[in-house]
Amino acid sequence: MRRAQAILISVDGVNGAAVKATAREALRAIGRARRGGISVWDASGLFEELAVADEEAGTPSPRTLLLLFAADLAFRLRWEIEPALAEGKVVIAAPYIETAVAFGRATGISAGWLANLFGFAPRPGDRRYIDTAPPRAVSDREGFVEFCSERVAGTPTALTRQQLLDRTRIQLQIAARRARGR
Amino acid sequence: MAATNTTPRAVRQRAREHFQNSRRRRGLLVAFEGPDGSGKTTQRKLFKTWLQAEDYEVVSTKWNSSDLIKPLIKSRKTVRALNPEEFSLLHAADFRHRVEHVILPALWAGKLVIADRFLFTGLARDVARGLDLDWVLKLYQPLVWPDLVFYFSVSPVTSGKRVTATRMPNYYEAGQDVTAVDDPVESYQRFISRVIREYESLALIFNFITVDAEQSIVEQHHQIRDLFREGVRRPWCEWNVDAVAEWLALSGQQR
Repeated sequence: MRRAQAILISVDGVNGAAVKATAREALRAIGRARRGGISVWDASGLFEELAVADEEAGTPSPRTLLLLFAADLAFRLRWEIEPALAEGKVVIAAPYIETAVAFGRATGISAGWLANLFGFAPRPGDRRYIDTAPPRAVSDREGFVEFCSERVAGTPTALTRQQLLDRTRIQLQIAARRARGR
Repeated sequence: MAATNTTPRAVRQRAREHFQNSRRRRGLLVAFEGPDGSGKTTQRKLFKTWLQAEDYEVVSTKWNSSDLIKPLIKSRKTVRALNPEEFSLLHAADFRHRVEHVILPALWAGKLVIADRFLFTGLARDVARGLDLDWVLKLYQPLVWPDLVFYFSVSPVTSGKRVTATRMPNYYEAGQDVTAVDDPVESYQRFISRVIREYESLALIFNFITVDAEQSIVEQHHQIRDLFREGVRRPWCEWNVDAVAEWLALSGQQR
């Protein structure tokens, strides 16, 4: 019997709630037998713990946050994504690499460093980009970039919270255009 | 008040001028590297005491010690939840946080930083766990190069004897996550042999100063003093400009 083809679908965007909603919608469109689930960021709980760290421990830089995102992604790959792909299922990663790369580029980190950082992660078979602005209320913000913008902004960086979100969104629009051109 | 020029080029220039200013004592970074049981910590403490007597303002920083990231690593080590990539990435995050919050601020203030283990520990252990050297090295970019790296060289047997004389190596220290050996002592022996092999390669590539850690404590200490006096006259390493410039831009300070 021929085995169904495993597919990794990435859903990336600045608005965490919109990314999750899109992922849920995409999952519903897949036949029940092929559903491998949705892998969301912070499955490892790293950021949840970071959020309650003492202020005196210091504010993480964008680079530190990206290293933590990569560690969390390694965890998601090991426990959620790769096992489902091995069973020939369709897995949705929401968000995946592009969101983190866009945040890194928005903060001035080189594309080369980011490419190396995520070099261990497989390429998605299908990419989706969600170009929705973050909600106004901070309490409704649940995405990786929204989380980081809250932490990085407020320190004396050159960028405000809103600028960080806007710049990341622009980087994702560029990535989406590039993906469409492929 | 005149506005500070914050273009990347201007920030890099400010970093260069600050560290190349010969009118004041510049910050110095000295790293102590070597396998467990090589006596680094003893030598680091002796060295620190001597430096303070020589009027240096000294700051020490240890591997995996940032207030922010260390608790995240510790809780995952306790439940043995880390694979080599996660282990590597979390230690790189801990290192980056210390670079930005401890090492560079101290160097900028003209202090002498002693690092009890530096990024080379990450390289040696991660490569011994099967990761690619180039991938790991790039995680630590932009690189901060020490003015001096003392490598405390011991054989795997000596390291094993010294470590197991007082305690049982823990799961990750013994490399049990990659050796699949149940006995921690046996696993440590196998794992530390790999780590030492990587250290020996790094010592050649990055020009470490090798200290024979099988010598007496006093002999080693005097050797370190002499080597420090020679090495301290080296010019500031231009490779550090990227790391300093990024830190200056991030901290946004008119330092």
